[in-house]
Amino acid sequence: MRNDIDPILLEVLKSGFDTVADEMALILMRTAHSPIVRDSMDFSTAICDEAGQTLAQGVTTPMHLGSFYDAMQFLIERYRGDVQPGDVFVGNDPYAAAGQHLPDIYIVKPIFHDARIVGWATTVAHHADVGGIVPGSNALGAVEIYQEGIRLPFLKLVEAGRDVKPLWELIALNVRVPDMVTGDLRAQIAACVAGERGYADLFRRHGPAVMLRYIDELHDYAEQLARAEISEIPDGEYRFTDHIDGLGEDPEPVIFQVCVTVAGDTISADWTGSSPQVKGGINTPLPFTKAGVYTALRSVMASDVPNCHGFTRPITVRAPAGTVVNSVHPAPTGARGITGYRVIDCMFGALAQAVPDRVAADGSGGSTLPTFGGYQSGKPFVFCETVMGTWGGTASHDGPDGVPHMGANQSNVPIEMIEANYPLRIQRYGLVQDSAGPGKYRGGLALARDYELLADDGYFGLRSDKRAFPPHGLAGGHDGRPCDSRLETAAGTRMLPVLVTEAITLRKGDVFRHVMSSGGGYGDPLERDPALVLRDVVQEKLSIAAAFHDYGVVVDPAGPSVDEVATTVARGSSRRAGTR
Amino acid sequence: MTAPLRIAADIGGTFTDIAAILADGSLITRKLPSTPHDYAEAVVEGILALLAGYGLAKAELGEVLHGCTVATNAILENKGARTVLITTAGFRDVLELRRIRVPRLYEPLYVKPPPLVPRQLRLEVVERMGPRGEIVTPLDETSLSVAIERLKREKIDAVAVCFLHSYANPEHERHVGEALRRALPDTFVTLSIEILPEMREYERTSTTVINAFVGPPVRAYLRSLIRRLGDAGLSERLLMMQSSGGILDARIAMDKPAQIVECGPAAGVIGATHAGALAGYRDLITFDMGGTTAKASLVEDGKLVRTDEYEVGGGISLSSRLVKGGGYALRLPVIDISEVGAGGGSIVWLDKAGSLKVGPHSAGAVPGPVCYGAGGTEPTITDANVVLGYLNPLALAGGSVPIDGAKSHAAIEEKVARPLGLSVVEAAFGIHQVATTVMMRAVKAVSTYRGRDPRDFALFAFGGNGGVHAAELARGLHMQRIILPAGAGVFSALGLLFADVELGLSRAFLRPIAGTAPDAMEAAFEALEREVARQLDAPVERVQFRRQVDLRYSLQAFELTVPVPPGRLDAAAVAALAGALDAEHERTYGHRLDAARTGEIVSLRVTGALPTGGCKSLSASATVASAGPPRRRHAYFGRRFGMVETPVLARAAIGPAPLAGPVIIEEYEGTAVVPPDGTVRRDGFDNLVVALSES
Repeated sequence: MRNDIDPILLEVLKSGFDTVADEMALILMRTAHSPIVRDSMDFSTAICDEAGQTLAQGVTTPMHLGSFYDAMQFLIERYRGDVQPGDVFVGNDPYAAAGQHLPDIYIVKPIFHDARIVGWATTVAHHADVGGIVPGSNALGAVEIYQEGIRLPFLKLVEAGRDVKPLWELIALNVRVPDMVTGDLRAQIAACVAGERGYADLFRRHGPAVMLRYIDELHDYAEQLARAEISEIPDGEYRFTDHIDGLGEDPEPVIFQVCVTVAGDTISADWTGSSPQVKGGINTPLPFTKAGVYTALRSVMASDVPNCHGFTRPITVRAPAGTVVNSVHPAPTGARGITGYRVIDCMFGALAQAVPDRVAADGSGGSTLPTFGGYQSGKPFVFCETVMGTWGGTASHDGPDGVPHMGANQSNVPIEMIEANYPLRIQRYGLVQDSAGPGKYRGGLALARDYELLADDGYFGLRSDKRAFPPHGLAGGHDGRPCDSRLETAAGTRMLPVLVTEAITLRKGDVFRHVMSSGGGYGDPLERDPALVLRDVVQEKLSIAAAFHDYGVVVDPAGPSVDEVATTVARGSSRRAGTR
Repeated sequence: MTAPLRIAADIGGTFTDIAAILADGSLITRKLPSTPHDYAEAVVEGILALLAGYGLAKAELGEVLHGCTVATNAILENKGARTVLITTAGFRDVLELRRIRVPRLYEPLYVKPPPLVPRQLRLEVVERMGPRGEIVTPLDETSLSVAIERLKREKIDAVAVCFLHSYANPEHERHVGEALRRALPDTFVTLSIEILPEMREYERTSTTVINAFVGPPVRAYLRSLIRRLGDAGLSERLLMMQSSGGILDARIAMDKPAQIVECGPAAGVIGATHAGALAGYRDLITFDMGGTTAKASLVEDGKLVRTDEYEVGGGISLSSRLVKGGGYALRLPVIDISEVGAGGGSIVWLDKAGSLKVGPHSAGAVPGPVCYGAGGTEPTITDANVVLGYLNPLALAGGSVPIDGAKSHAAIEEKVARPLGLSVVEAAFGIHQVATTVMMRAVKAVSTYRGRDPRDFALFAFGGNGGVHAAELARGLHMQRIILPAGAGVFSALGLLFADVELGLSRAFLRPIAGTAPDAMEAAFEALEREVARQLDAPVERVQFRRQVDLRYSLQAFELTVPVPPGRLDAAAVAALAGALDAEHERTYGHRLDAARTGEIVSLRVTGALPTGGCKSLSASATVASAGPPRRRHAYFGRRFGMVETPVLARAAIGPAPLAGPVIIEEYEGTAVVPPDGTVRRDGFDNLVVALSES
């Protein structure tokens, strides 16, 4: 720390930035209109400094960590000299605004002090629909970005405090659910106004000279802390390869290959060897890949490293242009979330070799994103939600059942809210017995969620994950169970591919039955404490048959209790046979 | 003829506080160690001691007002009843899956809290309601019989029942409730429609389960207490504090024990509301700082703010409304209190990049701060306050806790000052400031996060450490006035004496504002009022009702609660709700939409209050110990003022005219620090009123 820096004031300002970013998140959530923002919380808020570098981020979606930076560079460059107080910018295009995918709309407001820009209040939220060929705008089958919805470079949505009405009208006309989209845009603006107020207040209190010096210092401090953490990871090259099943029927696997190199207090992630960009909406532009890398690295750091830009300085991310992790125009990116999740999972796969005690075995992967759309009494409806699953086992405990992916701390949508607002009925939501990936510490159980359409007809789309390549175990733990998706219609039952690329038409009474994949196990299942096996049997998470098959534990149904002798015998013969 | 005496008993972690206000307005108190094997013991013993100590007859006692931690502890220690949950078939895991979100980011080793009812005790019954109350699948009696047979085999103390959409049609839940109460007459049964007839299945299920889980232990405790009171020849009229801030007859509270979780902090805020209002302060931010945490709450125009987004045992978080999932959701009205992990015992440390941090780890009561000399080695906030001269360097709590200031000095020098290249007092002042910054988040969470400007409020500080940090906290928030009440160390007990008998009920009432028939809404409100009166066991005419309504814009998921004016609802009153939503939304979030077009009613709320003989005045001097000879010690107030010789006075030595700082006021229950740029005076209600100059 520099000599002229008061460590106390630094801490005071850091907490001040955090408070402003959190307040923005709270206001956005409470005033939002779509289930995916207000309930699933698929949004982020941040305060950025004058140069567009993140100072603090609200505690919502880790996967957006660091993803404001590139968009802000784009905006600042484009509007240099043309920004005035009261402006609000909107943008979403991955290629013309350094955005992520079209449904993620950025709303950004400059913050002035004494007629000079001193920072930016920024938000990004996943909108329920931005037009394009399918309701919800997550078309896996899109082959170019023009099919995915309305493309917005950074534009002024509000100019000097006045709505730019033509732009509001243009956006409203191009989306299927204009009330929802404009309601969420207003919520984002409200959050930015709160952020502007809180940040400007800090400038008024401490003066610009002090603020600018301490903002620099905050970045340096985060960098220093990140370097201290990276130094504790053993030097070396850690490689990992993972896959997404691929698009549509008979999918061709999409390869993710990373080489993580730790050298002293720096770290790099090189994605050379990953698949070329694909004709389907799962490509991601580079900023999102970087965000995934940052999220995974931040997760293995023990310290509470500030989520500011300085933290990213010792980290390098390389990915060849034109690959699925660094797509170029006109590659479609609508459902790129799954790629972001895989980037994080792949990073954990590599980091497990370096810091095995700090990561879990693989979890259920990307959230399932079912989309139902159509017309009810003549009015269009679009329902989509993110279904989150389960984690793998760790070196010290079982993987939890029913948790969000590390990349996105999102909630489920209450069943009663869904049924009150959409022509859908949820027939089942719960854990699946015997599904956990076995291990000394087992993975979390798989989640099931079944949907019945109540409207006369409708459209259905699905993004899911991990069937051909189920969640991997670690240290001798077994893989989790693959995911399963069935459509039951009058014509019979049909297994759906993991990434559905063609529009599926539904009729009233059709049922979509979905089971996510379960978490992988950690360590040899034969070493699992029989008491834990018995606990799972008592809790009806494991059958007596599976206790024997997966763990070699013989459970006497009377009691129930563990038959110690029979278990010793069974486990001994399993070890000799090398099975399980 | 004097009114019967009312005595308050509040059980805290370590102490049981007893308080009463005599007819002349004077406050009398007793503090004695809690008796965890049976908390009722210390309560009765304390009441007898208080009566004896002031020469009062047992017969003078009219009623006992009580706050306890029995319900909270049952949850935190997982020692509630063995409970079964009955759900709609296909949904028994709703309780365990929760809302999925976890309270900590970037934490691959996170472990979820276990559900209060394990999976094997969550039974399913075949039935299904639709969102408009339509029966989709009739109740299957066979599956109900199977569940009841299973219940008879298990050793069960309590059953919770929560079916999907029961708020829209309670028929199936009622039927199951009747069957259960018939088949298992000794079992504590809670139906979700009896406790929270509102939408959102996880929150309703969790609230219902909490009620069942704490029901048997709370009932046993209250029965034991009533019996002990009777055995001791005392009045058996017992009133319980609820988390919402009202008191309620213990026999009613036994059926809804979920309402008394977290009643201790609630009583403190009630006390602040009333003590503040008595002295003419109606806009307050309360600040309650103890040994491990600091809590803040907002009082606006004499009214406290309630929330129903609460988690029991959620742990301490900096922004509790964003980071959820660490505790057990309880969706009943609770006074909106935010909490951060910064108390006197919070540990001070440096991170890997040399930045100064405070908490959330605490040295607790044992070993406690380094200065206690009980084996603590890590410096705490209290150690910093000793080094700064704010706290007595020889003993705390009127001499009952001896301390060693040299140990604080050495620990801060070694662990903080030297690594940071600061002098010891500068390091200590830095700790004081960082702690203040952490506590500011608690205050902001109840003010700026809700669109309220702290400058419009006075800071009302209590708890053992409240007065030590109030000045810096107020300064950081540009607040200019601080109120430091008498009895700060028994403030929750004091709060009980001010509370009204109150019961709140709500029901779902989902429809657009436009087109809502006033008669339908009036009828729904009246039905709620009749139910409130029934549960209060009082005629409708005697109950003072307050109506509120939860509103939101169509498509939003979060509601704003606005009052409904008294009197029969007409079309104009219903239409006025749109304007009320627009105004409240703008005030809270900074913008408005058009509620006349898209405003929705979500729930109706009714609170019924019964006038009590509650204390309406508190006179000066009764609580003030006589002033001792003045003392002085050096205290450090930052670089601006440096080390200043500061008089140390008793509360009684402060008069009605403003006295210029610096000054330290030392009492048995706590210490207050007035900085050099502040003044302090004592008002007619024994409050110390500190004014800070604008800087």
